[in-house]
Amino acid sequence: MGTDRYAYQSRLRRVSPLPKLLLTVVAMVVCLCCDSVAVGLATLVGMGVLITAMGGLSPRVLFRFLKIPLVFLVVGCLTILVGSYPAGTEVIAAIPVGNALWGFTAADLWLGGRIFCKALGAIGCMYFLALNTPVTDLTMALRTLHVPPLMVELMELIYRFIFVLSETAANIRIAQDSRLGYQGFRRTLSSLGTLASMVFLRAWRRADRIYTALESRGYTGSLTTLHDQYRSGWWLLPLTALVAVVQVGVYWLERMALG
Amino acid sequence: MSCAIETKELCYTYEDGTIALDHISIGAERGKITGILGANGAGKSTLFLNLNGVLTPKSGQVLLGGEPVSYSRKGLLELRRKVGIVFQDPDDQLFSADVFRDISFGGVNLGLEPEEVRRRVEQAMERTGVTALRDKPTHALSYGQKKRVAIAGVLVMEPEVLILDEPTAGLDPQGVSDIMRLLAGLRDSLGMTILIATHDMDIVPLYCDDAYLLGGGKVLLEGTPEELFSNPAALRANHLRLPRIAHLMEVLRDVDGLNADGSAATIGAARREILRLLKEEKV
Repeated sequence: MGTDRYAYQSRLRRVSPLPKLLLTVVAMVVCLCCDSVAVGLATLVGMGVLITAMGGLSPRVLFRFLKIPLVFLVVGCLTILVGSYPAGTEVIAAIPVGNALWGFTAADLWLGGRIFCKALGAIGCMYFLALNTPVTDLTMALRTLHVPPLMVELMELIYRFIFVLSETAANIRIAQDSRLGYQGFRRTLSSLGTLASMVFLRAWRRADRIYTALESRGYTGSLTTLHDQYRSGWWLLPLTALVAVVQVGVYWLERMALG
Repeated sequence: MSCAIETKELCYTYEDGTIALDHISIGAERGKITGILGANGAGKSTLFLNLNGVLTPKSGQVLLGGEPVSYSRKGLLELRRKVGIVFQDPDDQLFSADVFRDISFGGVNLGLEPEEVRRRVEQAMERTGVTALRDKPTHALSYGQKKRVAIAGVLVMEPEVLILDEPTAGLDPQGVSDIMRLLAGLRDSLGMTILIATHDMDIVPLYCDDAYLLGGGKVLLEGTPEELFSNPAALRANHLRLPRIAHLMEVLRDVDGLNADGSAATIGAARREILRLLKEEKV
């Protein structure tokens, strides 16, 4: 399901999660702070290269993953871009609606473009993390960063049982569908209601059984486990610095080019 | 006979007043596989939770290595270290999305050194044949693979007694014989005491050394599997049946009037019996 499947196949999967997290955070912070078109695009390209060259993901799959947030981005930026202006404003493109002009100005275009590219860069950074780090490794990293254990444990449990519950829900749905439970609007609504309440009930009962199972394995209030051995990832540190230097370099180049 | 774990007059009543266990006295001999047979609702799972200290008996005793268990915090931890339970649905037991981390849980809870936990996890993975699954998330495993990971997660605590609730339910025939061979291997190589609850009658003569028939919270029969199969009426009254082969021998004896031994319940035993009958015929 989703990015996790690829994370487990990544060549960087066994690399310690902390350096990967650090690279992601540094690149993302620099990208967001620069607030520039060129840096955003450069970050996206750079992360794309790291994901495909180091992680071993095929560019086609990466492109498919990039298309998903693209839809949201385009819709979001369009709403920023388009505004209403009094007649006579210098606009690039607009349609007159009554006394006003609906369209966008050069400044709007520039703002929209910056937000769009900045977000693309940030998405590239997130994908570097998500496509190379399984969720369980990420929570392990959060644990070493002293995030409250209760929160980390909840994250881990939720992540694990999303799959169990979605399987339960899918099975109930198939069982309802095969008895014509989704013919027509009214029946669909009532079947969905039953499904939701059944999933809740089953989750409730399962929680009881899970607690029993944990208890019989010596659970005393903390879900501490040991992770499989990681490969050291501190060689990613110079790379992180390099990425940041390139980002800042691109920023200066852009500033100089624009005067 | 030296029992690794036994119960004496064990009684357990649920909060709603249902009597689940009614003066149960059973014993699992050290280094043997003991089968607990019974229909759904016979009290098998309740019995197992009592053996592991998750449930506290209303009266009666659980004895571990001849000593009554203590229900203090320390005593319970000790009991759970020595008695491991593998539950029926592995999705109830596997709480981590990472195979390695899930298996390590019990070891960490014992307060062992990380190196020792790692060694035990590797060993448990090897014994259950899941080493190759370490690079997969739990939700990508098949049911049989999850079952093996669940067993590994208990083996890591190196228990003296291993309890399995319906270990073969929901597995394909190959999966059933793989799991049962794994258990027989643990018995033979480590001398582990194993208790299994089952109503898969065909595995009982193949893998169980002793068996108990539970019904209505009581022990109805006990003995070797052959001894239990010599009383098919009791099995049938409890929604169970003879193993297919034993049933064939029963039909040969009762319907066809042959001098067949009704306790021959495995293919090997039946083959010997039929060959003997053929020889007798020739003479």
